[in-house]
Amino acid sequence: MRATGFKVLGVAVGLAAAAVLIGLYVSKLTTDNGSKAYTVPVQTQGGHKVVDLQIETVAAVGPQFSPAHPDYVSYLVRDAQGKWLRRTVWRLPANATVHMTIYNFDGASGLRNPLYARPQGIDGNSFMLDGKATDFINPDDTSHTFAVPAYGLVVPLTGVADNAKNQCGYAPCALSMAHHTITFTFHTGKVGHYRWQCFVPCAAGWIDGFGGPMQTIGYMDGFLDVI
Amino acid sequence: MSVARRLVGFNLFTACVLGVGGWYAGWFSAHAVVGPSLDYFADVDFNELSLVLGYIGGVLGFLIGLGFFNYPLARLRGYPPSLREKEQGGIGRYFSLCTDHKVVGIQYLVGIGLFFFIGGLNAMLIRTELLRPDHQVWPAGTYLTIVGIHGTMMMGMMTSGILGPFANYLIPILIGARRMAFPRIEALTFWLLMAAGVILETTIFFGGFPTGWTGYQPLGTEANPGIDCYYLFFALVGISMTLLGLNMIATIVTMRAPGLTWSRLPIFVWGVLSTAALMVLAAPVLIATLSMALMDRVVQTNFFVAAQGGSAYLYENLFWVFGHPEVYVLALPGFAIVLEILPVFARKPLWGYRLAVGGLLGVTLLSFFVWQHHLFFSGINADLRPFFMLSTELISIPTGLTFLCGMMTLWRGQIRYSVPMLFCLAWFFNFLIGGLSGVFLSDTPSDTTTHGSFFSMAHFHYTIMGGLVFTFFAGIYYWVPKMTGFQLNERLGKIHFWTMFVFFNLTFFPLFIAGFQGGMPRRVVTYPHGLQFLNDWVSVSAFLLGGSMLLFLYNFVKSLVFDRIPSPADPWGSKSIEWQLPSPVPVQNFDRIPVFSSDPYGYGEGGRPVVVPAGAPAGMN
Repeated sequence: MRATGFKVLGVAVGLAAAAVLIGLYVSKLTTDNGSKAYTVPVQTQGGHKVVDLQIETVAAVGPQFSPAHPDYVSYLVRDAQGKWLRRTVWRLPANATVHMTIYNFDGASGLRNPLYARPQGIDGNSFMLDGKATDFINPDDTSHTFAVPAYGLVVPLTGVADNAKNQCGYAPCALSMAHHTITFTFHTGKVGHYRWQCFVPCAAGWIDGFGGPMQTIGYMDGFLDVI
Repeated sequence: MSVARRLVGFNLFTACVLGVGGWYAGWFSAHAVVGPSLDYFADVDFNELSLVLGYIGGVLGFLIGLGFFNYPLARLRGYPPSLREKEQGGIGRYFSLCTDHKVVGIQYLVGIGLFFFIGGLNAMLIRTELLRPDHQVWPAGTYLTIVGIHGTMMMGMMTSGILGPFANYLIPILIGARRMAFPRIEALTFWLLMAAGVILETTIFFGGFPTGWTGYQPLGTEANPGIDCYYLFFALVGISMTLLGLNMIATIVTMRAPGLTWSRLPIFVWGVLSTAALMVLAAPVLIATLSMALMDRVVQTNFFVAAQGGSAYLYENLFWVFGHPEVYVLALPGFAIVLEILPVFARKPLWGYRLAVGGLLGVTLLSFFVWQHHLFFSGINADLRPFFMLSTELISIPTGLTFLCGMMTLWRGQIRYSVPMLFCLAWFFNFLIGGLSGVFLSDTPSDTTTHGSFFSMAHFHYTIMGGLVFTFFAGIYYWVPKMTGFQLNERLGKIHFWTMFVFFNLTFFPLFIAGFQGGMPRRVVTYPHGLQFLNDWVSVSAFLLGGSMLLFLYNFVKSLVFDRIPSPADPWGSKSIEWQLPSPVPVQNFDRIPVFSSDPYGYGEGGRPVVVPAGAPAGMN
């Protein structure tokens, strides 16, 4: 009887250890990879849902946000308290108006396809670049694009000049540092899971610039989780 | 003896402590070498030298802790030679360096089983993600890492899935020997494999790897530091395979008992010999290739870096020079187990013994001439395609011979549908589908549409899981009563078989359709919405397949830990020599070496074919 008790105890301890190890393993895989969704706060104006989404683009995400890849070019999102988060899956309401502000701290690397130098899929097909209405930028001055293929949305982001003073090395970048501010408006449609990405091959040192951070959620790739 | 006293000494506990210590020693020594060199960090982005030296130090510490260096040092100090170590004693033998081949066999069974379940867990994570066509749970990079760990773990660990537990346990007994030719090397192969498995799992702390189990360049060169874990894992597996193969060949060639001529050798031994030859010839290529890839990352050589004059294509070729024989390293032991078990349950001699041996040797030889069928569309010289297409299709002939021998052994047999036999019969069904679908992949025109798709994935799961894993379980149900002295529950075993067989087919057959009709590519986290029903079907079936594995685990623990019903001396009515020994087998196997007078398949032909001298097998107990 006592022997059976020891066996049951042994099996129970084994099962518990296995459960803990499996839990830790899965937990490690699911965390710290930018895949956790950030729910953007929603306001209602005249019965219509409106969200204010603020993101920044940085040349290097830095060790604070990504010890594994501190040198990855990356997008960060700003929460309601003004804190920057490394999340590239954003939860937005369906059929809502999105006022988007992008602070770009990265330098220009140029477009391969000049078609993306004109904004598409946003209200008025124009955006505000540092407070000035713009519907075209020099392709060579482009740093990144923000694009949602399912919406036909592309917005080019002007890069910081090479000789600009007070450039940001890695995130988080303060707004007092050299940057460009791009604002525009677009609309979410029906419920769905829509990929967004950058169409500039900006992952220097990777396969044709498209590897590494460009293909990794949590850096230059993400989803609009429209609910 | 107190618990603390038991923990001190050369055992797994000490090995783990010294392994962790060795890891940090390696890590810090590399930091001391590299120092604050900005050039180094600018080139490599991460101090991978530290990572690699850390792991090398960890493995050395692990082996020191187990006591692998004690004997060489003792010999240097003039102590006499000894072939035995820690063979007497209780359960502690299983957690230390033990030279008893039976202990090593059981260590392999449990150790490989553990990593098999970890690989299976990763498969469940893959199928969870694929429940929906869009990104759902894991981001693309993590998904690729999970796929990579699953594939690498299964392909690496299961190379020894049958040779590890069953060949180590049985080969000396089947040839009438008391031990393996190199007992310490036998133990070393097991512990290297365990160290390798742990190293692979730690890839998740260094960003994982995006390459799947092949480690293709230039992805490998550009990947996260996590791919170093992949390289080290497979290199250690390669070393383990090479040593295991050499040991098997040396044992079988030099230590057979009197009367055991080549034509009387059990077919399982022939299968092991063929597999060992494959291991010895193929695995060194893997070790060399991965060492070169690792050096490209760590010390800035350029073997495979195209921009610096190297060739990524060279890596692909070298990998498959190992990789395709590796497929047969997995498949051949399955053939051998089936052919060994069928006569016992059909109560007939093995049909076409020499043909079966020829088939095994034919596959072994031809498997070195087919590797470029993996590279038909990689830009190879088009004139080479017909040759590799033909050589690949040619290999179906010796494969077919072994298949034919199995079928003919069943013909008019008095078949008993015990659990091991059910798994062997399932092998015929699964391997037939796997083999026929392989023809589409070996044929250049049809490979145009099927390569790199779920069709290919379904094909190799039918051959490897349907061929190897089913026979692995056949071996467990057949030989565990011999290894432990206790029966496995037959009823639970049958439930396990039927659930595994049904859900295996429900999981993998629809993937042919997804790959062929929908063109669903492998290793991509998203897929067309039209394929969601098929994928959901597959995922649910995969979860149920995972459930059948848990049922096996339940049966294993229940039968061996709680029920402990003693097994009859020869529960299957076999004529093979292992069933003439007590269960479990005594440490020395035989008091006196037996004499063989025929092969072990003479069912319906009178007495047993082995003359065990009077007094044997009393063993040492």
